[in-house]
Amino acid sequence: MQDGDSSNPMQGVAEDEPNGECGDREEQALLFLDSLDGYLALLDSLSSSLRQGWLELACARQSMGSSRVSSTLLDLKAQSAATTVLLSELVEGSSADPRPHFTLSKWACLKERKSSSDELIDGKLLEDRNSSQLRHRGSKHIEGARENSSASSESTAADLNVRDLSPTENSSATSESTAAAENFCIFQKRRYKALSVFGAFVSPKLRAAQFSFETALETIVEIANTRSSLLSSFSQVQKDSKPSD
Amino acid sequence: MVQDTVTGFLLAGVGNVDLRRNTNYLIVDSTNLLCFSILLSFFSSIKTTVKAIEEAFKEFTTKDDIAIVLISQYVANMIRFLVDSYNKPVPAILEIPSKDHPYDPAHDSVLSRVKYLFSAESVASGRR
Repeated sequence: MQDGDSSNPMQGVAEDEPNGECGDREEQALLFLDSLDGYLALLDSLSSSLRQGWLELACARQSMGSSRVSSTLLDLKAQSAATTVLLSELVEGSSADPRPHFTLSKWACLKERKSSSDELIDGKLLEDRNSSQLRHRGSKHIEGARENSSASSESTAADLNVRDLSPTENSSATSESTAAAENFCIFQKRRYKALSVFGAFVSPKLRAAQFSFETALETIVEIANTRSSLLSSFSQVQKDSKPSD
Repeated sequence: MVQDTVTGFLLAGVGNVDLRRNTNYLIVDSTNLLCFSILLSFFSSIKTTVKAIEEAFKEFTTKDDIAIVLISQYVANMIRFLVDSYNKPVPAILEIPSKDHPYDPAHDSVLSRVKYLFSAESVASGRR
């Protein structure tokens, strides 16, 4: 690396810095660049989801009529948002300031929202994890979905007696899958309730559009978290660059 | 257009209408202007003025029950000074593309803020 350039803290490291501080600066710079790349990738993904949703809405409008597919139908009566965002604080490392962490709560009514930061995705309940590791590119939802799919496959295997589980393990796996199924049913009911505003019989394209925009919402929450990480690492990089100015 | 984005997100369950018919969304006329916040806010009006957009933006960013504000980038460009001068962590302001105006990273307020790390020029001089 070249000698440090005071106008550009991203370039170079002063030769007389101790190795520990040099490592911290590089780590912060890497975290910043990783967050920046993740931010741009997620925005690209959001654009794709939105385009998909717009196309499906246009198809639904063509089959159902433009007067039936309109946002004015949704503001005729008082209703509270079924999908919300839970806000918590995340601390990464001992020296970093806490930053906001957003968690999407889909199709959950106020009574059922838990005080702990549980995450509801497609009817499957995940526990929120406070991580002190570097944030990795890619959706937490995908990681959670993978965990859940492995948990589901384990419960299926238990039902088929493929694996030799103890009665306690078997019952806990069965209760998990039952709870997941119940949550899924609740979410489906709420999805249908949102769709029912447009009439009793709606186009399959409208359902597909609903799913696309749900995906877009998940991406949006990821973007918000990445933005938070980006701005946090940006401020750390700025702080680290000050002694060299 | 913007109606589709609002309709889509309302389908996803983020629409909120209180007893006084105050909505958390605003559709800004037919020229692809949209503001939207989670928990959640859109803008809905006909021939909405820039001042009305600014007032709505200020309202949504000062509410305690809003965590994320979504704003079409085209709308954000109309109130760019206000969006760029906003620097609180919550609610998070996210600029999203609209149907007729794709996302442009060059105008994103967050990217503009960090852009100077990759260039000797400041953000302000880059805009001029």
